[in-house]
Amino acid sequence: MTTASQETPRQAADAPPKLHADNITVKFGGLVAVNDVSFTIPDRSVVSLIGPNGAGKTTFFNVLTGLYRTTSGRVVLGDKDITNLVPHRIAGLGMARTFQNIRLFGLMTAEENVKVAMHSQLRSGPFHTVVRTRRQRREELQAREFARELLDFVGIGKFADEYARSLSYGDQRRLEIARALALRPSVLLLDEPTAGMNPQESARFTDFVHRLRAEKDLSVLLIEHDMSVVMQLSDRITVLDRGEKIAEGGPDDIRNDERVIEAYLGKSGRGKSA
Amino acid sequence: MAATATTVVAPTAIDRKALIQRYATYVILLGVVIWLGANLITSPSQFFSASAEGFNLGMLYALIALGYTLVYGIIELINFAHGDLFMLGALCSGFLLTTVMGQDQSNLMGWVLFLVTLVGTMVFCGGVNVSIEFLAYRRLRRAPKLAPLITAVGMSFILQFIGLKWNGSTPKQWPSVFPEGSFGIGDFRVSYSLLVVVAVTVPVLLLLRWVVTSTRQGKAMRAVAQDQDAARLMGVNVNRTISFTFLIGGALAGTAGVMYQQVVGTTAYNLGFQMGLIAFTSAVLGGIGNITGAVLGGVLIGLIQGINDGAPLGFGQKWSQTVVFTILILLMVFKPEGLLGRPTTEKV
Amino acid sequence: MGYETKTGAARRRPALPVAHHLRWPLGFTAAAATVFLAYYYLVPGLGPDGQQFFQTWLPLTSVNEALVWVICALGLNIVVGYAGLLDLGFVAFWALGGYTAGWLMSGFFHQVNIHVFGGGLPTLPGIHFNFWFVLLIGAAFCALWGVIIGAPTLRLKSDYLALVTLGFGEIIPQVFVNGEDIGGFNLSNGTKGITPVDPISFGPVELGPFDLVWKYLIFVGIAALVMFISLRLREGRLGRAWLAIREDELAAGMMGVPLMRTKLSAYAVGAVAGGLAGVAFATHVGGVLPDRFNFSISITLLAMVVLGGMGNVWGVTLGALVLAWINSTGLPQFGNTFNESFGTDINFPSYNYLLFGGILVLMMIFRREGILPEARTKLVLREPSRTEREALGADMEESAPELDEALEAEDAEREAVAAPGTEDTEDGLGEKAGSTV
Repeated sequence: MTTASQETPRQAADAPPKLHADNITVKFGGLVAVNDVSFTIPDRSVVSLIGPNGAGKTTFFNVLTGLYRTTSGRVVLGDKDITNLVPHRIAGLGMARTFQNIRLFGLMTAEENVKVAMHSQLRSGPFHTVVRTRRQRREELQAREFARELLDFVGIGKFADEYARSLSYGDQRRLEIARALALRPSVLLLDEPTAGMNPQESARFTDFVHRLRAEKDLSVLLIEHDMSVVMQLSDRITVLDRGEKIAEGGPDDIRNDERVIEAYLGKSGRGKSA
Repeated sequence: MAATATTVVAPTAIDRKALIQRYATYVILLGVVIWLGANLITSPSQFFSASAEGFNLGMLYALIALGYTLVYGIIELINFAHGDLFMLGALCSGFLLTTVMGQDQSNLMGWVLFLVTLVGTMVFCGGVNVSIEFLAYRRLRRAPKLAPLITAVGMSFILQFIGLKWNGSTPKQWPSVFPEGSFGIGDFRVSYSLLVVVAVTVPVLLLLRWVVTSTRQGKAMRAVAQDQDAARLMGVNVNRTISFTFLIGGALAGTAGVMYQQVVGTTAYNLGFQMGLIAFTSAVLGGIGNITGAVLGGVLIGLIQGINDGAPLGFGQKWSQTVVFTILILLMVFKPEGLLGRPTTEKV
Repeated sequence: MGYETKTGAARRRPALPVAHHLRWPLGFTAAAATVFLAYYYLVPGLGPDGQQFFQTWLPLTSVNEALVWVICALGLNIVVGYAGLLDLGFVAFWALGGYTAGWLMSGFFHQVNIHVFGGGLPTLPGIHFNFWFVLLIGAAFCALWGVIIGAPTLRLKSDYLALVTLGFGEIIPQVFVNGEDIGGFNLSNGTKGITPVDPISFGPVELGPFDLVWKYLIFVGIAALVMFISLRLREGRLGRAWLAIREDELAAGMMGVPLMRTKLSAYAVGAVAGGLAGVAFATHVGGVLPDRFNFSISITLLAMVVLGGMGNVWGVTLGALVLAWINSTGLPQFGNTFNESFGTDINFPSYNYLLFGGILVLMMIFRREGILPEARTKLVLREPSRTEREALGADMEESAPELDEALEAEDAEREAVAAPGTEDTEDGLGEKAGSTV
């Protein structure tokens, strides 16, 4: 159901970047939330976005997914300009996200939650649904299989008929990822996926992202506060502070970057353990 | 964050939708102004008396609209029952002043008893409003938004039932203690009752302003409106503050009820529905959650309605609801944040 | 973490849903047929006492009227119950459907003379379409109006939406009330309304005012159709999108659900049912009177949806039948009986304000899932919250004082940790900025 261009395997070496953001600026009234940030996500990579609270990370996410409008700048996904498109169009083009505070469809089953995200891939209109044509039945069956497959992939297949609300916290996080994957995304945005997890759960999550990257053809953009998770997973890290990009590079570069340490600990905070 | 806020943003060119909305708002406002001007030129004296009539109504709308705006500002609920509370206020006023105290003419005793009635009705309506919040809305504070809304609609029906039993199914006439007649020059007349309404309403509004901006309770109200959890952490008693807000809103509705009963002289059990809706429109017009906006919106809507009903180029009274609701709908579509409000975004 | 409640849910979806899907339609058909047979064979055969009983407590007209309510309530259920859009002006669609029948099935437009398989002599002036055509036209007309009303308003927040729909619910009937002279054109005959409306006809056969049993069959058929469509849509792509919007609009948009189009379709489908009800009602009473179309109709419909259980087709049907019966027959007859027995003079029908208001309030406070709840709602509302952590993400929960305290404590803790550092202003930007009390 995805477009042909997304299905062709690409080599990471010199393929064009999956996602490309040029000079993004977002202002709310007089407040500059994101200031002139440029940013690329290479194909099949994990890129992290870190920074202290209020640095503009979530705002940046919201711009990428179309929830906020940019004041200036351009976002390109694959070879399509998606700047300021409505969220559902961007989602349909292969950008999926999870939320910092889980936003599932509480009174729908896990399977239905995943199926909602297939909306843009399914074709049966109301007439076919009411009459239950052969085409519609086949499509529903496929949707169901794909949903089960994804639920198995994230490890909650046995809860397919549970209501999203009644799942445990960790399983809700998994379900959010399964739902996002149902969009068949080329870029997956994870907003603080390990928030509220204990170290063992975080470690399992790290393994999961490795597996995700190995088995699905996609790039991951991660907002994360847990530095051990960030350092283990990321190919590249971008650091935001007060709406501006202050550093970019591999985990080792970031670990030793003066400005980053300063942003996190403040000038007087030197010497304290990170 | 705030440190980087150096430039003030002009409306961005890419935001075409916002631009269209802005211009549509201007066009609508311009249309209203032209319509008013045409009325003024056609018949100045009728325009004047219709405006006076409308201003009178507008004061009442402002009082009721404040109740909506205060409650919406603090718990983001459209209190559908508020209009019916106003209706109960009108009934209570007639009941106290005429039925209980037997006053039916304008003299010194009438003024004294009028003040007693005013206070009594304010207490009554405030009490009813607080009870409604306590019995119903408070239990639903964590429920999805649909639940308190539907509850408010149900409450509105229950209050209407009380009104029906109290007032009877047909409209009831009351004597007024306000002086009759009017003063002015030639055809330009202002009735004395309008003066009384202004004399009561303006101090009440100033008092409210003072309460909200300068008192401890007022500060607590603003804090709760901004962020309930944070306010609670700072030691604000959230429940009491919300009750207080309902008390004030109810008292204002009671004031409006007394005025209405005295000026118009007729009460009906279904009075509140229409008045409430129009008052809500006023609150939205001014920018819901904004006190000055509610007053401004109330007066504006009152003027528009008065001129529509009374001036030569109006559509006449039978269309006045349609006119007001059309304004409401246009407003919601093009400028839902109102004249003085600011747009909101959802948190993710 | 216990999953003790999952068994019920897991069993709910059998692999082969055929039997499950046949059970209800069969039950419905059986019930409908029983009522039909009862009124066709049984009641006429009863003695005068029996007939009197039925005439007093369950006259067929009130059954028919209740069916009209069912059709309309099912339409509202799609808008409110499925898509979660509170519509307080649904009476507008009822009125529009009614006037469609008034225009196309009467001698009202006496300037013209159009007959399309309609009732009456071909020489009669006016427009006389056959009932079935009018049903289709009324449905299409209302769907169109659903889109017209919906398109500019659906962008609004839920509570504003409620108000705007209410505004439309007031404007449209007022246009009909004042519509005898709109620029010289008589649109609606003003307060006099349009009477009579042609009877339902099949070719040469016309249903007279006393053929209530046959009208019953037709109304039951329409109600069944609306129920069927509601149930089927719920199971498919569109129904899932509606529910997703009801649950979390923002997340639904992010998952590729086109919000505007999906909400508009809920409006259009709901309006279709409203239009069908309007046409059916016009033929039921044999005319269209504008003063019937007031706000209390919208609220009564809402009470029906809430009482039965929002989103549950069967619950709403039951709720509509019960409330419509109480409103038209139960309350007045009970009043008569009560007053006769006790020599009192209480106006019972006036208590319907209390009744409907009370239903809305009490149901919302104590039994939000409705009398006959949808399986999913019931499960969730009955189930205690697991831990505070989970409850943080949950939007729909009962307030529990002890939980509040726990949350407060936790908030305090987090706040205390966060306080010395930078404040997280970024996400709160603009939020509640409008509420500058």
